[in-house]
Amino acid sequence: MAAESYSEAEPRGQRSQLLQHEVLLTGIGGQGVQLAAKTLAMAATAEGHQVLMSSHYGGEMRGGQTEASIVVADEGLRTVPILESVWSAFVMHSRYWPGVAARLRPGGVVVANSNVAGDLPDGDFRLFPVPAGDIAAEVGAAMSAGFVLLGAYSTITGLVGIEALVAAMKDLVPPYRTQHLVVNEAALRAGASSPAAPLLGAGAW
Amino acid sequence: MAARLLQGSDAVAQAAIAAGCRFFSGYPMLPFTDLLESMARRMAAAGGVCMNAETEIEAVNMTLGAAAAGARSATGSCGQGIALMQEAIAEAALNEVPFVVFNMARGQQDYFQATRGGGWGDYRTICLAPKDVVEAVEHTQLLFHLADQYRSPVMMYGDYLISHTYMSVEVDPIDFGPLPPKDWALDGSRGGTGRSRQIWTWAMGKANDPGPGPDLHWQRIAEKFDGVARLEQRWESKWCDDAETVIVSFGTAAPFVEQVVGELRDDGVRVGTFRPISLWPFPEKPLAEACASASRVLVFEVNAGQMIDDVRLAVAGRAPVTPLGRVSIDFSGMRQGEILTVPWIRDRVRQVIREVTV
Repeated sequence: MAAESYSEAEPRGQRSQLLQHEVLLTGIGGQGVQLAAKTLAMAATAEGHQVLMSSHYGGEMRGGQTEASIVVADEGLRTVPILESVWSAFVMHSRYWPGVAARLRPGGVVVANSNVAGDLPDGDFRLFPVPAGDIAAEVGAAMSAGFVLLGAYSTITGLVGIEALVAAMKDLVPPYRTQHLVVNEAALRAGASSPAAPLLGAGAW
Repeated sequence: MAARLLQGSDAVAQAAIAAGCRFFSGYPMLPFTDLLESMARRMAAAGGVCMNAETEIEAVNMTLGAAAAGARSATGSCGQGIALMQEAIAEAALNEVPFVVFNMARGQQDYFQATRGGGWGDYRTICLAPKDVVEAVEHTQLLFHLADQYRSPVMMYGDYLISHTYMSVEVDPIDFGPLPPKDWALDGSRGGTGRSRQIWTWAMGKANDPGPGPDLHWQRIAEKFDGVARLEQRWESKWCDDAETVIVSFGTAAPFVEQVVGELRDDGVRVGTFRPISLWPFPEKPLAEACASASRVLVFEVNAGQMIDDVRLAVAGRAPVTPLGRVSIDFSGMRQGEILTVPWIRDRVRQVIREVTV
């Protein structure tokens, strides 16, 4: 095989024409932030989008900083894996909020678990507080607050559909954890249909 | 096959198996560990063998053994473990046993190690540095082909961002064309079949015919690597035709630089970007041509200055070559630190362009 070069691969200015949405997911270890991120990324892939996801978390199993970023593009993913700014935030806990706020673009969408992230300072963003912990407890899925917030996030932003999220969750749960499938699905659907999760006027697509 | 969301390590593992890799051995060490885990999960179903070795030295020598028997084989680690593998890599280069080394480095501080090596003798290793997971899938398959084509160990320079990032990716087998038969492979026979060979670093021959001896053997290997250096340079360049400034970067750092350069172009700044895809052979002449109109060359790498040596050799004094990066590791010690962001690179490039202009 001969040596190759690639040159002048695309016209200038194409970057700005792509439709692409970024989500920053934040919380503390043990809240299911990484699982929610993976579920969202897989659901968006199943719906035909190009997806990039990167995770960042410390060595602690519980309580430490945990963060994931996801980019969903209609086609031709063009992004670096460490994001400079984001369109929306998924906030399970307020402890690491300042780092998220610094990257949120003006007018960005923030879907926050108001049970433990009800104290976010004001800013130039559209805040949707969702009592994800309470809703999870109501449907008998106290451990699944992350899925409640994810369901709510899907309704609010329209980034992915609830059916794709349920299917992705079922794919991701390992065989030895299948006892959680029913409550996880209940949590996703309860979040998606919650009065705290209105359909956003300007949806993702 | 439709695109699937795969972690980089899993995508590389699947690409390796699609390329026919049937032996893998390694010792866990982040960010390489995920690749070893994926191989362990997937290799048995493909009819292959994955060994969790007790050390990196054991891993690379098992890989050398499997490869000497003709199997498509691979190993890997991060730079710290690959330091231990240097002797076996040099032996394999000189006794002409092909395998792939997946270097999931903890940053960009192992450029010298990857491109110069630390073993003995006149040998080189082809080294490809993918910019993202999609390219890593292609490089994985290409590396197995190049290893067999040149009967030589070859390397991928990956890192945490290759190993741990999830991307939509298709892992389809790529046909790179025919390869010579592995008629040199040890087949377990002795004496009568006529197929047994010595695989020996000092010469290639048979038990009753020791071959040409070290002088001719090593001359021939040096000529082989001279040919590889001519034929296997790979690179990507953008906006260099009229560029006053060319910025060189490699691997996962390159897309960050490219984004900044794209913005500068939109602002009317005559700047271009050049990425060596093969770190060895370094695309020396293509870089010199890309810099033909440049009055300055900038090098962004997340280390104390390693690739900049190769850039200076290529530019050969025709323009000043200025480093942009520095050592930068995050709190985990597993990945590049704070300078690998678009804002940091944007500020640094604008600052240096101003300084060099003034």
